Amino acid sequence: MSQQKIDIEINTDGDHKVIKPTGDLDVYTVGSLRDAIGSMIEEGTTKVVVDLDAVPFMDSSGLGALMGGVRRLREAGGDLAIACTREQHLKLFTITGFGEGVSIAPTVEEAAQGFRG
Amino acid sequence: MRLSLRWKIVGGFGILIVLVAVLGWLTLSLFGSLRSVQREVFRKAIPELVAVDEIVRSFTAQSAAVRGYLISSEGELLDQYQREVGVADEWETRALDLLGSAPESEVLQELVASGDEFQNLVDNQVVPLAADGQRSQAFRVLGQEGSPLINSIERLGEELRLAQDEVVVAAEREVRRRQNQAIAILILVFVAMLVVGLALAILLPRRLVRNLEKLVHAARGIEQGDFDQRLEINSHDEVEELATRFLKMQSGLKRLQQLALQDRELEIAASIQRNLLQRHVPDIPGVRLFPIQRQANLVGGDWYDIEMSQRTLTVAVGDASGKGIAAALMATVALSSLRAERSLGSGPKKVIESANKTLRDATDPDSFTTLIYLTLDLRTGEVRWLNMGHPSPFVHRSGPDGTASGYFVEGPRNKALGWFDEPGLAETVLGLEPGDRLVLFTDGFVEAKSPSGELFGEERLAEVLLRFAPMDPATLEDELIGEVERFAAGKLGDDLTMLVVEYQGTDG
Repeated sequence: MSQQKIDIEINTDGDHKVIKPTGDLDVYTVGSLRDAIGSMIEEGTTKVVVDLDAVPFMDSSGLGALMGGVRRLREAGGDLAIACTREQHLKLFTITGFGEGVSIAPTVEEAAQGFRG
Repeated sequence: MRLSLRWKIVGGFGILIVLVAVLGWLTLSLFGSLRSVQREVFRKAIPELVAVDEIVRSFTAQSAAVRGYLISSEGELLDQYQREVGVADEWETRALDLLGSAPESEVLQELVASGDEFQNLVDNQVVPLAADGQRSQAFRVLGQEGSPLINSIERLGEELRLAQDEVVVAAEREVRRRQNQAIAILILVFVAMLVVGLALAILLPRRLVRNLEKLVHAARGIEQGDFDQRLEINSHDEVEELATRFLKMQSGLKRLQQLALQDRELEIAASIQRNLLQRHVPDIPGVRLFPIQRQANLVGGDWYDIEMSQRTLTVAVGDASGKGIAAALMATVALSSLRAERSLGSGPKKVIESANKTLRDATDPDSFTTLIYLTLDLRTGEVRWLNMGHPSPFVHRSGPDGTASGYFVEGPRNKALGWFDEPGLAETVLGLEPGDRLVLFTDGFVEAKSPSGELFGEERLAEVLLRFAPMDPATLEDELIGEVERFAAGKLGDDLTMLVVEYQGTDG
């Protein structure tokens, strides 16, 4: 699939970083998210919150990239948490059961509190 | 700096033309100066010589005429003398004119003065004496005073002639000198022209031809399928531009080749998937199965599987995350694992457990598969399924006395496969009556988007399924797909996969 770049804002918040993508997370744009998470691991940051506030649409590729990020960060000794308020995304997490696999909260602060380890 | 080929060629010829013009101009100016020298000689020096000679001859003639008159007393000789005086005057005037202010004009003035003295002598002394009858006296005067004057005239005339001779000789020398100079310059310019002409004739085409040869060679390479050629042309003109565009064309061809290759790989993957997934729907008494499918792409992650064994129908509908070949491969892994485990005689829970483990190990952390794994007991109509993170099945109850109803069956939910260590294995159990339909589908139906961004959604799907329930399978498929396509204005990004299981019971 030919990748498109999307804007990803990265901020530092204490001991973790916040990744905020802007735009759809689908099969064409997940590359940017994957790269961002990969860079984090490379530079030693393993606690990451992904803020989905500016993501209007997310499909199985986007969900997969997020859950893949969770696995990778946990393997590196950290974790990934998700800040999300959109109903359609929360439903996706519920149906697939991934809601129980990752910390999801309405705000970044609350999501960060759910870090494992 | 770009210099068009046209200007290079025009420039080359321009240089040659300029050299020819220079040659022409030089020739003309050199010969012009030769002519001016010639003019000097022919219009002045020689006429001067002639004039001086004529003056001297005239005076000599005058002297002879007077002497003759003194001897023979013939009046005609006196007339001749007068005529010669006139002639001498004319020539003197012309000579003075010709000499102008040249240094020799002083000599000429002397000569003229002497001439005048002689004529005075003759007019005022000799002729009167002769007219008086004193001829011997006249003779004596002519001899004593006239002869020295004539001698002086002759001497001066000789002096003038010598001077003019020198002018002519000097002019001849100057002509020769200039001629040699002209020839030397002409030869120089001619050689320069030859050199420049040869240089242009050799150098200009050589680089052009060499560059064109490079292009021809590259074109041959393209013919033979080499799309990685390099082309180094730095002539800063149209040929270089041609080379640049040629290289762009080459990379375009290379991309096309890659796309064609990808297309072929995609077709191979599609045919493999078709063979693997597209099982003919078996004819099973007591149940009617109809698949409804519309693929958005050549290969994808949606799949279904049907197996009948003894009196249990096993049906699975699955959806691998992502799109394209990656999803298709994951679908293949899932399917193979299910069939393999099932062939060992394992029950649904073991099959799912095994599939989860395989998918976790075989695929990357970003990938997962959702599925419904269902078994239907054809004798009792009891249906059991494991929902692994998948959209809930829809059941359509035909109901007594034609009261149809339909709803999504919310049972215990388990997690998607390929990520969790333990996805959960809680079953949902349902009893079907004859005429009831169970609809399994993938999220393509629900996630179809209208141009305004609205999703088709479960409610609309439920409404449509109920509406179309009375139809026969083929019509149902067309209507259903058509409905979703219309909603999405023809732009379907996801595969649509649905399997309808209609339980007919064991009567009959």
